[in-house]
Amino acid sequence: MAGKHGQLSLPGGTASGHFAHLWRARSFAFVIAYLALTFFLARSSLAVQGLALVAAVFGILAISLDLVAGMLGLYSLGQGGFFAIGAYLTTIVAADTQVSVFWLLPVVLVVTGLSGAIIGAMSLRVSGLYFAITTFVFTLVLTVLATDLPITGGLQGLLGPAFPDLPEALAPLGTPVVWCVMLALLVAIGLVWNIRRSPLYPVLLAIRDAEPFAEAAGVRTGLVKVGVFGLSAAMAGSAGWLFSFLGVVSPGQFDWSVSLNILVMVLVGGINTTLGPIVGASFVTMFPAVVNIDPWLQEILYGALSIIAITVFPEGVVGLLKRQFAAVFKAPTAGREATGSSETSRADTASQQPETSREGGPAAEAIVECRGIGFSYGQGPKVLRNVDLVVKRGHIHGLIGPNGSGKSTLANIIAGRLRPQAGTTHVKGVLVDRLAPSERAGLGLRRTFQAAQLVRELPTSRNVLVGLYGRVPGLVRRAAVWTLLPSAARDSASMQFRAEQALREVGAGDWIDSRVGDVPHGIEQLTQLASVGVAAPEIIVLDEPATGLSISEVDHLARLLGQLKARGVTMIIIEHQTRFLFPLCDQVTVLNAGEVVLTGTADEVRANPVVRQIYLGE
Amino acid sequence: MLQLLLSGLAIGSIYGLIGMALAISFYVTRVINFAQGQMMMIAIMIVSALTAAGCSPWLAVVAGLLSACAVAILSYVLAVRPILAFDRFSFGWLVSTLGFAVVVENAAAYVWGPTSRAFPPILNATSVHISTAVLTEQQLLAIATAAVLTAGFEVVRKRTLFGKLGMAIAADPEMASAIGANTTAVAIVAFSISGLFSGVAGVLIGPSTFANPYLGDTFGTYGFIAMMIGGGTEKPAAAMFGGLLLGVMSEGANTLINSQASDWFPFVVLVVILIVSPRGLFSSGSLLRRLRPALLAR
Repeated sequence: MAGKHGQLSLPGGTASGHFAHLWRARSFAFVIAYLALTFFLARSSLAVQGLALVAAVFGILAISLDLVAGMLGLYSLGQGGFFAIGAYLTTIVAADTQVSVFWLLPVVLVVTGLSGAIIGAMSLRVSGLYFAITTFVFTLVLTVLATDLPITGGLQGLLGPAFPDLPEALAPLGTPVVWCVMLALLVAIGLVWNIRRSPLYPVLLAIRDAEPFAEAAGVRTGLVKVGVFGLSAAMAGSAGWLFSFLGVVSPGQFDWSVSLNILVMVLVGGINTTLGPIVGASFVTMFPAVVNIDPWLQEILYGALSIIAITVFPEGVVGLLKRQFAAVFKAPTAGREATGSSETSRADTASQQPETSREGGPAAEAIVECRGIGFSYGQGPKVLRNVDLVVKRGHIHGLIGPNGSGKSTLANIIAGRLRPQAGTTHVKGVLVDRLAPSERAGLGLRRTFQAAQLVRELPTSRNVLVGLYGRVPGLVRRAAVWTLLPSAARDSASMQFRAEQALREVGAGDWIDSRVGDVPHGIEQLTQLASVGVAAPEIIVLDEPATGLSISEVDHLARLLGQLKARGVTMIIIEHQTRFLFPLCDQVTVLNAGEVVLTGTADEVRANPVVRQIYLGE
Repeated sequence: MLQLLLSGLAIGSIYGLIGMALAISFYVTRVINFAQGQMMMIAIMIVSALTAAGCSPWLAVVAGLLSACAVAILSYVLAVRPILAFDRFSFGWLVSTLGFAVVVENAAAYVWGPTSRAFPPILNATSVHISTAVLTEQQLLAIATAAVLTAGFEVVRKRTLFGKLGMAIAADPEMASAIGANTTAVAIVAFSISGLFSGVAGVLIGPSTFANPYLGDTFGTYGFIAMMIGGGTEKPAAAMFGGLLLGVMSEGANTLINSQASDWFPFVVLVVILIVSPRGLFSSGSLLRRLRPALLAR
């Protein structure tokens, strides 16, 4: 299978290989220019160095915040706190023990990373503004501790350790601490730049914008959030380590306004861009030195400029530039049919064999089995009462019923988003009652949502990539150095190929490069289907897939589902349009007011007088 | 002990008023106005400057309150509205309201200088004996004013069409404007009420703090803590209870632990409360409310 993919990906491979050369040359040029700048800086005057180094340290802080705020939507105001931990830890330990400062870096990284993970895990109970506030409180507490504890030297603070000198032979390189800070900034830039180019990036944005989608694709979202938050905290800690070499470490340098200022830097420079945080950090830190007027007038000007910046460029400076460039260089994408030619998609399907043959299983085997499910939302009335649902392997099982009969609730219980108060669920013979949605995804169970849950700012193909999470080992582990690894380049090409292939299969091949925010509703639904299909699941739960589709789109969908069934995929479909559903179904379960009325073939259901009365309205 | 409780309630009323001011503007726009403390500061500075120029203190107080409202409306028009017009969920307001606060604070320092100036005593000169405790009339006035304003605000919010409009906009601005609510007008009114509350807080505390352009930061922070402890983000009146609790506890910490304890004690309280009940103590989604059915069932 892998060999086949390798062959098939050759055309795409060479094309992306060409681009790879281009950006490799570009990033090489960037690194050379950056090192030249550092060399120049390391030999310049102390005043210039002081200014640039503070800007660079805050650049690292802003990048660390952008990592969680831009990619995960977690607006942390705790960065100042981790910054303080790094700086104080370095200063205090270096003064007391004479340990080489380089040995302290790993200590700082581990300590701040762990405290980040702990704070993150505690704060994740709340989201949005409340997350910002809880992390903010963390910083407040640390500032108070730094002021009042005897060990931190109170308001005067402590003098940081001296940075060791370079060996004699390297003396022409200039001031060593400049190299250290600038290289650390380069590493930070490289880290986020790599993550942005790795397949982890769409996964992170999916956690930010469409968490249920990410969970259903098998992402353990809580764990990823805590991990990335820990990484961001460790970056902020390393900034503190660097900061301790620049002079005195005192509480005033880490008070709550610092955390706010870091967020200001990110927002002014451009959130979720690689260079935006650095632009913002340079603006905020260099402003007082560059604009040398009466201090109050200077502050007034600074405040006024930040208001103007954020109201005129709400996406930040770099965000604005990016959009301008995109508008110039991108061809318009309008004027295409909603569904691709089904002839080509059928031809594609013929060439694409299922990864594993599932035809061998006994036809009568139950693959999803719910017994005695009872559920109610909070204190409300029972939504499901003693519901039994048995789905056979390879079947398409319809789930119909009036609005409010509990269909979507049942789908959410099967997928693991809701926990029933009573009853058990088995998937492939495994008791899944205690498994999270992401773990059920690992069993080969995928789902779609009634209202498509996708990342609107990413192209359809990048959204489909999220579906491949868990099919590529070590994706998270390698993300930080993604572009440096040959294995990752191979994986990138094959994942992109599989995603595009999946989109072509569902007939959305014309929309591979379009942002989800720009595509019509039908394509959104097909993208969802592709993101599910790309993982070659055994079971798919579809929640009202035909809602809002035109008649031709519904026919197209019916053909696609038929093709999936031919590959042996089991499907549970919730749907109101019986004309679309009944011809597809092997079995249909009718729910009414939280109870199963009947399970049978489409014909039996159609003929049943009770169903005709309650559902078909006769 | 009674003395501690009463002086705590007096200072707590001030925290509560600023907390409520923050909560009222948050309630309608989902924005925390970092310039809230500056409105209080402007009211104090204006009163101080006008009385120094020979104006009657009562006239100066009216002018101070009006200027606090004006600053509040200005903060909405300049720093909040343009951000929400672009994206109602963005965090850009953080930058702009913070920038606005910086501008106001430094403008005040530029005009009036960074040192403290005299403030008319108003009712601070006379004191009242309540059993064993001694309070100034100004402190009693603070408690009474806070009670009246909180009750008045809750009546307006729950009983009048305007208050219900505010609730509707808080829940879903798009839906509210679809049924014909003028969200901008409601937001401007909410911001001017928040300015009024901060201004009142300023006039009440001014006789004991005197007039200083940097007062806004400290009281803004305490107001924010009051709002968070109480759960004012869901129900503005809860911020007042948070403020009273905060006031009593920091007075208690000052007396019972040491004189510097109120610098850090409120933060510890805030952390503990946020861990136990992230949405505050007195809000609708709070721990107390959730426990109540369980307690009643017993």
